[in-house]
Amino acid sequence: MTNEINIVNDSLLTPEEAEKRNGLRTRKPYVAEKLANIQTMEDRGEISPIIRLEKSYLCNFQCTHCSAEYYMDRHLEKVLHVKEDREQIDMEDIRELSRQADEMGLARFVITGGEPLVMRDLDEVVAAIDPEKHYVILDTNGWFLDDNKAKHLKLIGIEKVQLSLDSIIEEDHDDFRNKPGSYKRVMRAIDATLDAGLNLLLSTVLIKGQVHTKEFVELCKFATDKGVGLYVSYAKPTGSCTDHPEFVIEKEDADILRQLEKDYSVFTHMTPSYGSHKGCITVKGIITVTSSGEITPCPYIDFSIGNVKKMPLKYILSQGMNNPWLGPHRPDCLIGEDPKFIKIHTEKTAGATHLPLPWGEGFTENDSLTD
Amino acid sequence: MNGLLKGKIKMVKTAYFDQYGRCIPEALMAKVYEQSRRYFSVVQPKINYAETYQRFDRVFDIANDLSLQEFERRAEAILNVLSDTGITQSVGVPIILPKADYSDIGQAIDDIYLKAVQQSFNAMFPDYSFVNHNSSSLAGQFSIASGSRHDKLIDAMKEGVVVAYFFPCLLEYSVPAAIEQISHLPEQFLLAGGFDTAAAFIGNPDLLVRKDGYAPLLWMSGLNVETEGVGYHFESYGYDLTFNRRVHLAKVAEYWASSLVVLG
Repeated sequence: MTNEINIVNDSLLTPEEAEKRNGLRTRKPYVAEKLANIQTMEDRGEISPIIRLEKSYLCNFQCTHCSAEYYMDRHLEKVLHVKEDREQIDMEDIRELSRQADEMGLARFVITGGEPLVMRDLDEVVAAIDPEKHYVILDTNGWFLDDNKAKHLKLIGIEKVQLSLDSIIEEDHDDFRNKPGSYKRVMRAIDATLDAGLNLLLSTVLIKGQVHTKEFVELCKFATDKGVGLYVSYAKPTGSCTDHPEFVIEKEDADILRQLEKDYSVFTHMTPSYGSHKGCITVKGIITVTSSGEITPCPYIDFSIGNVKKMPLKYILSQGMNNPWLGPHRPDCLIGEDPKFIKIHTEKTAGATHLPLPWGEGFTENDSLTD
Repeated sequence: MNGLLKGKIKMVKTAYFDQYGRCIPEALMAKVYEQSRRYFSVVQPKINYAETYQRFDRVFDIANDLSLQEFERRAEAILNVLSDTGITQSVGVPIILPKADYSDIGQAIDDIYLKAVQQSFNAMFPDYSFVNHNSSSLAGQFSIASGSRHDKLIDAMKEGVVVAYFFPCLLEYSVPAAIEQISHLPEQFLLAGGFDTAAAFIGNPDLLVRKDGYAPLLWMSGLNVETEGVGYHFESYGYDLTFNRRVHLAKVAEYWASSLVVLG
């Protein structure tokens, strides 16, 4: 029966998606089966979000557009002059999160941060997630990702690396990342990742007007020629980008990008994939677990939908899905495009020291689209 | 006395639609947003009867059965009749449905109507695409939703060529709420299904194309689907138009809408 379901679900995949799925099926059949069941879950009205895990915000970069900057100790201590005094998640919390996620049929974890490759306990975190039960992705700036590190990641069970590349022009990338030499390190990391047999995804941040540039199209072409996908994240008015509202895209940018999807291996979080047409993926397709155990519905929304140290994951996701901003299907990016929500988010987070705002202060039970 | 009575009747009629032509939900059991912030909205395309007629004639070869003058006269007559109901504040487009008696609605949508939408869309937007994401056959998929009054449109098609007006005004209604709302509306308002919704895009391929904002997804709510909680719909994706199937499970979304049709 399971095989029949998988065959039907696989028929919705592109040839490239099907090839990847089959490869995983031989190595990690349990994980592949869970991934194949996602479509069936969605047909039943269930959700299967990717879980982004931000255990640590330690980072060797200080990027212009970082969404996590306001969560970092360096920002809390040097800019806001406060301490992170909330209880932090530990390995037991991650093991429990993994268990609950598995029980719900969730299949994907992204280890992010901060920069995961500066985490001393990265191997332990991967083991706590359990790569035999979940598809594990590592989100990195690539600075430390050489051949040895890539082989090690493969060995400990990482399946895919998501590598940030903000421009095909070396100087522009390094400027945007505020890190001379980072472009060269990304190029090294691309080769190391592919040589180690890891799946690779390049990720880039799109700012207003950039989609019109020759350089952006060149970046799309570069990824396509390499045979890897380019994941494009719109610049959102949160984190370090709060000071750069001019970065926020307009619908025209998003629409031109949608057209580029036809010619290049480029996509956003709203691009249909693996047969799923979710639109904005808040809760439905992604959640972020912060270092304090708060769950946010998107990496760029600093409102919590519940704390995993205090309540079951299933309850938190249900709470998120019942919120009128988050649960219903919509085609646009809530925090990147909806002016009303952006205004609410900006006003509520202004002056806050400890993000995300807990449930009841950001999102509440009484939220309405029209108030 | 007569004047007072007339005034009362008019008040009742205008209460069906708000100042923007959105159909006002009538104490429904099914899920609907009572108020709308009009974030997802359809922009009224320019009505050009001659161009619309040509698009229908190109795909349906209707010239022998309906002249341009007759099309315009019948379509305008619909708007005149509806002028005091408030629905004319809504976006609306005239449509033509050729005379037909299909034994299988899904098969006809697959074989005739979606291909016609594609032809019409490609003619208006050669650089963009109409994409049918539905990979399986629609044959046997549909029946007329009970309470939708969509059967009246199907019956009218059996009698002769149909001229109608299509109004995507059930904004932010769940599919069951759109069906439920019909029972609160005067008899001439029918819930749109497959042929009429497709025809709206044949006549006006740009109906959901917006550069400055997002248009809603349009369900074919007048048709029941074999699998409960599933529906078929048209939706823009950037500058493309798409047709697809998805689960709705009787839920409501700000982005979801259904449409009314009035026959002329």
